[in-house]
Amino acid sequence: MFRRGQSTTTAYLFLAPFLISTAIFFFYAFARAIYYSFTDFNLFNSPQLIGVQPYTQVVADPSFQRALTNSLIFAVVTTTLQTIFALLMAVALNNKLRGMAFFRSAWYMPSITSSVVITLIFLWLFQRRGIANYLITQWQTYQPLILTFLIGLVVAQVIQVLLERRSGLPARWTDPALAAVSALASLVVTAGLVWAGVTGPREVAPFDYQYFADKWITVGGVQILSIPLLVVIIQNTFTTVPTLMLFFLAGLQNIPGALYEAADIDGATPFQKLMNVTVPNLRPVTFYVITVGLIGTMQMFDQVAVIGSAAPQDTLITLAFYVYTNTFKAGAAPVNLAAAAAIILALLILAMVFVQRRFFPSEAR
Amino acid sequence: MTVLQAPNAPTPVVRADDRWLARRRWARAGWLYAFMLVMSLFFLGPFLMGLLSSMKDDPNEYPPRLAIPQLTPQYLGRAYNLGVQGGGGGWNGGLYPGHTVTFDVSVRSPQGAPQDPPSAALFPYQPVSLVSIARYAQAKDFAQVTLTPTGGVGDVRSYRVTVRYPALTRQTGRVVTGQLTAPTDTLSAKLDNGQVVPVTLDTPEAQAVQYTLVQYQPVELVENGGRYYLRGPIFQRTPLQVDVRRGQSLESSTLPPSDRQNFGRSLAYRNVTPGILGYTFNNYRRAFNETTNPATGRSLFFTWVLNSFLYAFLRVVAAVVFCSLAGYALARLDFPGKNLIFFGAVLFAQMVPSQVNLISNYVLLKDLNLLNIWGLWFNGLVAAGGVFLMKQFFEGMPRELEESASIDGAGPFTTFWRVMLPQAGPALIALAITQFQGAWNDFFWPLVILRDNTNFTLTVGLSNFRELYGGQGDYGLILAGAILSAIPVIIVFVIFQRYFVDTGADSAVKG
Repeated sequence: MFRRGQSTTTAYLFLAPFLISTAIFFFYAFARAIYYSFTDFNLFNSPQLIGVQPYTQVVADPSFQRALTNSLIFAVVTTTLQTIFALLMAVALNNKLRGMAFFRSAWYMPSITSSVVITLIFLWLFQRRGIANYLITQWQTYQPLILTFLIGLVVAQVIQVLLERRSGLPARWTDPALAAVSALASLVVTAGLVWAGVTGPREVAPFDYQYFADKWITVGGVQILSIPLLVVIIQNTFTTVPTLMLFFLAGLQNIPGALYEAADIDGATPFQKLMNVTVPNLRPVTFYVITVGLIGTMQMFDQVAVIGSAAPQDTLITLAFYVYTNTFKAGAAPVNLAAAAAIILALLILAMVFVQRRFFPSEAR
Repeated sequence: MTVLQAPNAPTPVVRADDRWLARRRWARAGWLYAFMLVMSLFFLGPFLMGLLSSMKDDPNEYPPRLAIPQLTPQYLGRAYNLGVQGGGGGWNGGLYPGHTVTFDVSVRSPQGAPQDPPSAALFPYQPVSLVSIARYAQAKDFAQVTLTPTGGVGDVRSYRVTVRYPALTRQTGRVVTGQLTAPTDTLSAKLDNGQVVPVTLDTPEAQAVQYTLVQYQPVELVENGGRYYLRGPIFQRTPLQVDVRRGQSLESSTLPPSDRQNFGRSLAYRNVTPGILGYTFNNYRRAFNETTNPATGRSLFFTWVLNSFLYAFLRVVAAVVFCSLAGYALARLDFPGKNLIFFGAVLFAQMVPSQVNLISNYVLLKDLNLLNIWGLWFNGLVAAGGVFLMKQFFEGMPRELEESASIDGAGPFTTFWRVMLPQAGPALIALAITQFQGAWNDFFWPLVILRDNTNFTLTVGLSNFRELYGGQGDYGLILAGAILSAIPVIIVFVIFQRYFVDTGADSAVKG
């Protein structure tokens, strides 16, 4: 189309700002980080090469080991949770209903606000006397009522389905119309029982749990997951599910409806349809979502930095935060250690992406 | 084949079957809507709770309540009225010299309990500033409080608390407002129009307080014959405390108390001259007013908002220009090294964590003396993600456009500038929005690069809020700041919703 030489010049001219800024702030920086990771640099001296010593030092650092464990656990748990929830919600949303646009935007809200804002709100929700604890207290208080209601619901549903089947209609155990009637009936029965004094809210002491403390979920005496990190996992799932859900929604729209019709003719249950039609067809999107999720969660930083001193450092420290604190440690900053940790983090992420590409190939490619 | 044919079912049964199916469909839709409402509540709940609680006197109130007086018309009306009485107007509130405010309290004292009236007094309130404590004048040092019984029914007795703030001068004339300037031998004030005038203290009361007033203290002056007489400092708040006797309890008051201590007998009213802004949006006002920079007297929070906008604007402009240029070159121009650039600089750069580049970029920008917004901008000048987005977009455009431009003799630049870019409207909007959102929400790089609290962006400032106020449990301020900083993105989202939803999903399915 254009003359070749001219085209090359123009292309590099067009790319110049991008290439220059990437060269300075990415490639040069990357190279320098690798270089620093083999030196004794501490921001104030002139770096001297000392070989792999920074790496051995970093790996021996208990704080780094904790950061590594935290990062890996966080990445795996969060990615799993967000992928599953996003998929389920996308399936639920994929119905053609009025007002879907509204729900989509409403659900999208956590994804657009900054992680700092959401972390601050979650810190407040999960205070000792915060709303999370309040809701748990309420749940405990009304547990007898909720249980009564659920038992009533199941009993009513079973009775109704059996009756329907006797009259020759192919009712499923989860038949929605019958479930609505069952729910109503169970509500009336529960209200009656409360009125009769058979069941009622319990007296419970206010649930008083301190989330941002040195508390751990341990397996065989090994500290696996800290409670503050669990809160961050919940928060991260909450913020990422809507975005990932949109990816799945876009993927769902590309699944031919004929597949579902065929499954319907074969008499597949909704669960069978999900596992045998939806999930296999969404494999390329799932692949993308997991990759993005792993890259994102391995770099988790904002939440740890915002929570800062509000939680003991060991409970929340991640690789990204380890790099940051070591770079700006008061006194002599062990920048070489930070650089080594950063390189390890980068290698981990690249390895994860590589493994994903190698062993779980996307069918779309 | 006729043998296999099912016999025709009787018509009424078919109808019943149809109805049964229709009922199921309706019920299914009902459950789905219920589920979606619950999920909406789940996703919006934290924000709504944060928004509501940011208006409360005490966002840590336990058990949390959804009904809050700050949003009740009755109390809003009273707050407005009290603001008018204080002289600052119904919206801004405040206590001005020469005004009197009345506040009603009724106390239940059952038989056997002491029947004495409660005691009422003003108490000091000092804002806990981010950087230093500005010791503004306190209403308690200037105003007098009296308590008079106004009758009662049964066990309940009513009292009227009167807060009277006499003017410090008896001169009359034009009343102006201003701020005191840096203290020197003589007192002077900077008027609202920027003029600096010497202040005359003509009464013993005025002379007595001249050394208690600090720089930036808002004051009211009377102009008479070219001289400015101090009428008195202006108070944004009038905190009132009412203590009832043992056995008595508060029945009602003009505004509900902000805080109850000492088994509910010690009642604190944060501000009895609030106005609507001071009552409902007090925490928001505090976010702006209580973060003054002692060097300039300017609100730090406001500076952070401006910084965030500036950074977001710069990022958007740079991205629109440079990302579209680079994206076009990668999509349509043919040149050696194209694949290398795409995989190396676009895809690889997106995968490597930014922490790797932290040290080098920090050192580099520090050496260039660019540890400020400009350095931050420079550091994230061309986003690899933006280049990818524009490349995808340009690849999807018809080649015929360029070919016809080429036939007309247009060079690559003219083709890009005159033909392709004008067609790229939707992609550019999407790019601008994602860049705006990214810059506004950016936290890591601002935290690394911005070292001076006047340079902070809003996200870094907010995390600073957490450090300074979180320990004290002052979540009112933190929540207000968080809600304020979420608003611009939400507005952009509401306007450009479909671009948010489209860009992500498209690249996922293609990518």
